[in-house]
Amino acid sequence: MCLGTLTVFFPLYMAIIIAFKQPSEMTNSVEGALSLPKTWSFSNFAEAMRVTDFWHSLGNSLLITVGTIILAILVYSLAGYALGRGMNARKRFKTVYFYIVSGMFVPFAILMMPLVKETAQMHLGNQFGVILLYLVFYMPMNVMLYAGYMKNIPVVLEEAAQVDGLTTWQTFWKIIFPMMKPMHATVAVMTALGTWNDVMTPLVIMSGTGQNTLPIAQLNFQTQFGTNYNLAFASYVLSLIPILVFYIICQKQILNGVANGAVKG
Amino acid sequence: MDFRVHSFFESHFVQFYQEEKKGDSVMKCSNMLAAVLSAACLLTGCASGPADDKIQIEIVSYKPEAAKVFEEIQDLFNETHDDIQLTINSPNEAMTILKTRFVREDYPDIVAIGGDINYSGFLDAGLFWNLEGQPVLDKVRDGYRQIDKQLEFVPLEGEYAIPYAANAAGILYNRKLFRENGWQTPETWVEFMDLCETIQEDGFQPLYAGYKDTWTTLAPWNALAVELADPDICQQVNRQEATFAEAYDLTAERIREMLPYIQPNPSAYGYSDAATAFANEEAAMWAIGSYAIPQIRSVNPEMEIGAFVMPGADSAEERWLNSGIDLQFCVMADSPEKEAAMEVIDFLCQDEVMDLYLADQGGISCLKGDFAVPEELGDMKEFIESGKVRDFHDHYYPSEMAVDALIQTYLLDTSADAKEKFLKKFDTEWQRYNRDLIRRLQEENQ
Amino acid sequence: MKRKMTPRERTYVKILLPILVLFFLFNTLPMIQGFIYSFTNYKGYGSYDWVGLRNYMDLFTDQRVWNSYFFTFKYAICGTILVNVIALALAIGLNAKIRFKSALRGIYFIPNILGGLIIGYIFSFLFTYILPAVGEYFQISWLQNSILSSPDTAWIGVLIVGVWQAVAMTTIIYISGLQTVPEDVYEASRIDGAGKWTEFRKVTLPLIIPLVSTNLLLTTKNFMMVFDQIMSLTKGGPAQSTESISYLIYRNGLDGGQFGFQSANAVFFFVVIVALSVIQLRSMSSKEEQL
Repeated sequence: MCLGTLTVFFPLYMAIIIAFKQPSEMTNSVEGALSLPKTWSFSNFAEAMRVTDFWHSLGNSLLITVGTIILAILVYSLAGYALGRGMNARKRFKTVYFYIVSGMFVPFAILMMPLVKETAQMHLGNQFGVILLYLVFYMPMNVMLYAGYMKNIPVVLEEAAQVDGLTTWQTFWKIIFPMMKPMHATVAVMTALGTWNDVMTPLVIMSGTGQNTLPIAQLNFQTQFGTNYNLAFASYVLSLIPILVFYIICQKQILNGVANGAVKG
Repeated sequence: MDFRVHSFFESHFVQFYQEEKKGDSVMKCSNMLAAVLSAACLLTGCASGPADDKIQIEIVSYKPEAAKVFEEIQDLFNETHDDIQLTINSPNEAMTILKTRFVREDYPDIVAIGGDINYSGFLDAGLFWNLEGQPVLDKVRDGYRQIDKQLEFVPLEGEYAIPYAANAAGILYNRKLFRENGWQTPETWVEFMDLCETIQEDGFQPLYAGYKDTWTTLAPWNALAVELADPDICQQVNRQEATFAEAYDLTAERIREMLPYIQPNPSAYGYSDAATAFANEEAAMWAIGSYAIPQIRSVNPEMEIGAFVMPGADSAEERWLNSGIDLQFCVMADSPEKEAAMEVIDFLCQDEVMDLYLADQGGISCLKGDFAVPEELGDMKEFIESGKVRDFHDHYYPSEMAVDALIQTYLLDTSADAKEKFLKKFDTEWQRYNRDLIRRLQEENQ
Repeated sequence: MKRKMTPRERTYVKILLPILVLFFLFNTLPMIQGFIYSFTNYKGYGSYDWVGLRNYMDLFTDQRVWNSYFFTFKYAICGTILVNVIALALAIGLNAKIRFKSALRGIYFIPNILGGLIIGYIFSFLFTYILPAVGEYFQISWLQNSILSSPDTAWIGVLIVGVWQAVAMTTIIYISGLQTVPEDVYEASRIDGAGKWTEFRKVTLPLIIPLVSTNLLLTTKNFMMVFDQIMSLTKGGPAQSTESISYLIYRNGLDGGQFGFQSANAVFFFVVIVALSVIQLRSMSSKEEQL
């Protein structure tokens, strides 16, 4: 178990100490490589922030991730509700369900080039376009989860609501949506992890617009770090920090979200 | 999609997504989301474009290492021009970005690219505007205009690019180490091998290489090939008049003979590693192009760098300098503001601007005039001035064929018939990747 | 089933229509377009010709494509097995009553939240500089060369990073499964005098077999799509020994001028993925029935 912990932390430890060191402190001996930096200076970080235009990239990453999460929860839960309930009564809904879920098997590679063309023609070669694409990519998996979750919610509740005079919409918002909370957490966490770290989509959709997400900034400035590993590692650490902070704050919700309800901390 | 897939997933997922009460934490998280979203909006800013009535001209440059000097040039232009707003972008992975933008039909006005197969491809796709008759072309040295003509897949009417800067490839060396140890720059292959031997005996690492970045294998490859193979070998092969197996035999042999003098495991290190190692005097020589000089300087500004022409041939007279167009400007056929684009190009071709560029990037001017040849390239100067230069062979190789990776594979292959396998593969792959072109050339001839 | 729609069902339709349009636009339509391009020699820009089935025929003779499939399968199979074995062992360990259990669980999940690209850069440095230095220090000869530098071992480097990242998620799913196994089942087996291993084989495994199949499916699928790690660790090298299918499609389809050909490759890849998933599911569900 301790070995496992070491395996997890060793690369991170290396990343952090290298980020703080100066190029002159880099040696090829084992002791030298593992030792702590002589001084804890943030100059590498300041420089890396400047080079990668850190705040701007961070803003884009946040915008895309949060935008995707909000839309994802709304759209997937609605779809899951309609399909989960409709499927039992009508074949047509079942067909729609299978149509969407089968999208899970489509590799992104085949969609990539046509999507580049399509989003450009629709003037969606920007952050909003990327959000829409994510919404579609993650749809199969999440709609399946929501639709499956509907089985846990007794139909009686809706019938009772209907007797009380609520419309189907109202029933959804007032009764079903709040009951789906554990599922919302799961979907939010999975979507967040997927979008935050994704390289490919923003790379091909937003390239040339001058807008970077954090991973793209890393990719774009890799050459400029060429000779200075310390600077490069400072920028890696910087781009790992937001998600780590988020993880530390919401650790419980994330772990619970991933294996909802089954893991009790 | 069959039914079992669906029921399988459904039943199993529901199992672990059993409900648990934790209303408050979810509430907290959604508040946090809202806060984060507003922060994101602040950070990205309400980017309002420069929506005045100036003509917008955009240049995309494929040289991220020149980003700084181009920014300077851009500001200089904008300060002196009221009617045109110039933007120069120099992204990393620029070729991918350019190609994706072409897919989107989102064209810049001018592209600054190299004189290589990408230029040939874009030109063939009809993306560039014919510059014939533009006065600025008269400023360009004839040799480089010739090189551009040779890059056309199928000979075209007109001219489509303004060559701007050239680079040269050969061997970079550490002048100080050479002076201190009394080593002489070699002129023939035998002398070169002897030199490597001497350096090794003197206790130094003769050569360094960064073959993990496969494209760096092309530097020694090209430098050898211009001396040991016909300059139009690719066209000859396309006309089915020659094979690479014959033409590249000696080139392949000699690039391999360098291996014992390169540091162990060259495929473990990349271009930047090699630049750093060379700058830190870990090796006496590096087979690379002049474009590496700024990178080396960034590590060791004091270093005394020298360069000599690859001594690949058996006699000093058979040496040719490997030089090609590193940067040229093409106006996109789709640009709505060609007049303004030409004004920008005229500005770029002024002597002062060229001086600015050369001072930062090194390299050789493609424009006529008395521009300084970088001091590091001193030994190559006579070749440049007498026009004893030949273009990079890889400027004719299709990028998807990945010749650089083929060379890397060959250099890693330790079997006895490695060379034969490599050259055979070179020929068969060439036929496959170029067959549409070969067929077109045949049709053209009939 | 020609029953009239209830108002409720009409609302469902209203909800689903815009979602379906969106899905069609950004999933089905580009897929159809990609399929069409696979019959052309389109470079991504400029004009193109129809070439019929040529791209598909070429797929079978192109050594580089074969190599990428070979690499991807090798990587996916080894990765899936390793990830599931390690994750199951970890899950059982973490499920046992030990101290700091929840802290450990939190720690083990960290690799999963970090992006593949940056992790790749960090590991690339470790493989190139740190590990050889360690090898030198302890005089371990096989460690002295960067494992990324040899075509025979580079894939192992990529595999280590892939597994390092993927174990977390799988472990969490296994833990959730183990916790659904009621304690009294174990007690019953202990009364029967079963050893730890027999207990695992006879009691735990059958109960969590559905989870195993889910995890196998998910990890295989993720490993088949490997891209970020390749981009940051090896760029497909050395000697093209670590080119995954996704990487090749990106590299040559977008960067090189092989858009048409790589579209054909992508279509074929899609067929392979679907076929694999179906096979995996079938064999798994037949196993489940046996148990």
